[in-house]
Amino acid sequence: MLPSMSDATPGATSDAIVVRGLTKVFREKTAVDGLTFRVARGRFFGFLGPNGAGKSTTIKMLTGLLRPTAGEVLIEGRPLDTDLLGIKRLIGVLPEELPLYERLTGEEYLHFAGRMYGLGREETRGRTDELLQFLSLHEERSKLVVDYSQGMRKKLALAAALIHSPRVLFLDEPLNGIDPVSGRVVTDLLRRLASKGVTLFFTSHVLDVVERLCDEVAIIDHGRIVAQGTLDEVRAGAGGSLEDVFLKLVSADLRREDLSWIG
Amino acid sequence: MRALGVARERAIALAVVVPGMLLFAIIGAAVLLLAVRSLASSDPDLLLPGLSALATVVGLFWMVSPLVSGLAIAETHDVSRLLHFPIPAWTLVTSSLLANLSQPMVVAEIPMIAALAIAVAARPLALPLTLAGVLLSFGVILAAAQVAALLLHGAARNRRLQDVATFLGIGMAFVIGLLPLILLWGGARPLAAAARLVRATDVFAISPFAWGVRAAVHAGRGDLVGFGVHATAAALAIGALMAASAFLIHRISRGELDLGGAPLASAVPARMRFAGAVGALFEKDVRMSWRDPALKATLFVGLLGPLLFVIFLLRGVTSGGSRALLYLALFLGVSAFGSNAFGLERRGIALLMGFPVERWRILLGKNLGAILFRTPGLVMLVVAALVLRAGNLLPAALTIALCGLIVGAGVDNYASILFPTSHADPRRGAGGVRGRGLGAMVMSFLLLGVTLLLAAPFLFLAWLPLLLGRPVYWLGTLPLALAGASAVYAMLLAGAARVLERREPELMERMLSEG
Repeated sequence: MLPSMSDATPGATSDAIVVRGLTKVFREKTAVDGLTFRVARGRFFGFLGPNGAGKSTTIKMLTGLLRPTAGEVLIEGRPLDTDLLGIKRLIGVLPEELPLYERLTGEEYLHFAGRMYGLGREETRGRTDELLQFLSLHEERSKLVVDYSQGMRKKLALAAALIHSPRVLFLDEPLNGIDPVSGRVVTDLLRRLASKGVTLFFTSHVLDVVERLCDEVAIIDHGRIVAQGTLDEVRAGAGGSLEDVFLKLVSADLRREDLSWIG
Repeated sequence: MRALGVARERAIALAVVVPGMLLFAIIGAAVLLLAVRSLASSDPDLLLPGLSALATVVGLFWMVSPLVSGLAIAETHDVSRLLHFPIPAWTLVTSSLLANLSQPMVVAEIPMIAALAIAVAARPLALPLTLAGVLLSFGVILAAAQVAALLLHGAARNRRLQDVATFLGIGMAFVIGLLPLILLWGGARPLAAAARLVRATDVFAISPFAWGVRAAVHAGRGDLVGFGVHATAAALAIGALMAASAFLIHRISRGELDLGGAPLASAVPARMRFAGAVGALFEKDVRMSWRDPALKATLFVGLLGPLLFVIFLLRGVTSGGSRALLYLALFLGVSAFGSNAFGLERRGIALLMGFPVERWRILLGKNLGAILFRTPGLVMLVVAALVLRAGNLLPAALTIALCGLIVGAGVDNYASILFPTSHADPRRGAGGVRGRGLGAMVMSFLLLGVTLLLAAPFLFLAWLPLLLGRPVYWLGTLPLALAGASAVYAMLLAGAARVLERREPELMERMLSEG
């Protein structure tokens, strides 16, 4: 059994995430340019875009790791700029980069995360055991994180993001580096979380995974949202599959004539 | 060379370091020239064994220099990035050796090489041969360093061995750092004893590092046969070392060089034992520091200062020993300043700040860890008290040290938040960290002054009974001093937590951009 998500009690608003005019400027470069969107509670929201489009910067701002240059963010009805600590109690984050504590064992790491989220000793122990078992990490629980493979690290970071049963989960490329079997376990888990009312904010380059999992998507390019809506709405807006829509919207320059000397 | 050139900070560092290295090399060359000439005239029998010993010590030091300097310096020897190209191993070995010849550390040795060749040449005509001999020794040193670096590269593929190598390397640097202390302790006696042993046994004659230098000495004395034998041996040694390098490159490229098995997983499940967020943070820092070879080594290297102090106490203090003990306590106390609360986190700062924990708890957990890491210094204080037969002063000395540690940790939080910087990652070597900058350094000095100022009343309180000649007053003043320092720490902590809440995103931007 996984930790229960039943404490995802509804708040005053039906939107889990509200973003208005979110902007981030690094020196002269605008990485994120006036994003505005809403994610309803319990939805599986896909946030797509090419490399460097501003996806990770957006997630960092939504989770309080980067201060926005402008704009407003509400998570579960709470303003990010004045209630950061309260919001951090409600969210779980799986970053694309995995800066884990490499000299802790996998088990110690989850115990540490549980304590930092305010869980009691026994509760932490129970959830740690269940998560390690569920994500097939139980045999590696006593290994140092530095000796984990990329896929194991990803699963451990996911376990740490889940240990306090968050209401909103931010996942930055959660399936990168994970083998197909573990990938299926993770996607099944994510579906289950969504069915229990957890809101999932999800970025991925793997568009067929997005098509299988997400209720709604937003496509970002050069820091701006270029399409947004349910999958059907986005597909209908531009015609074709999600991949066709994506390539069309982000103005991908597919060069097929060059490198003719190869082969 | 291009890699060095494109990194602006490295280029600036080189611009500062290279002239300094050259200056030292020229001074060293002059000293070497005079010393060897003097030895050759006063004690010619010692010249051959003495120079053999010197070449061997220098050679061994260069072999372990990648360990001492951190793994990143092995990058110049690291040919793994070239292994994908269809280049023969011999070409890689040769190009790596040539690349090493252009390193600043090597270029700076040119005056020393020339000085040694001139010093052992009795006649100007012998100079080409003596120079060839010294260069052969230097070639052996470089080729041996290349083998060492490749072995290290092989070991780096196994985390456990990499940890051991890093810890031993830093340990060796620690021991080398202690050598002046040993000389200080025993005067010239250890050196004289070593010289007698070297002369009697000429044990370094078997060292390949010495063969080139021995060839040079023979050439300088007009013994061409001796030159030929030793020069040939040195050339063969270089060839053998290059063959060893080529072999290692082959093994590494085919993934066959696995020096040791995978680390064994502990059978006993580990638990976090301390309660609450503060306990978890404290325990996490302690576990990580003990398991990180570089951080563990700094615990021991940090004892160097107090050890030096104790040695001075032992050698020089005949009167006023009690005062010296209190100075040592003060020195240990302010050592908590500069502990850098967030340095250990490196890129994990994003992870840490993602937890919904009040910022004062985070700072408190980090400070408790930093204070714990300084407790070996307190042991040194106890040793000093015993040495000085001043056990009666120990409670006061420990109180002074603790007051300093507590206030120092409190003030250092501000430096950590306002001028964040990461501890060097041992896998990235010295290049893995940026300095805080000149302005931050000035501010650090100011904050150190603030530490002393804030701690002063409590240090004075602990000292007062000694000044009054009434040790019994310590029963009251020592608890008061500790309580006062703790109160000041609490105020500092609350202020630092507020600063952290305001500057958290800037702190993370700075720390993450360093990684």
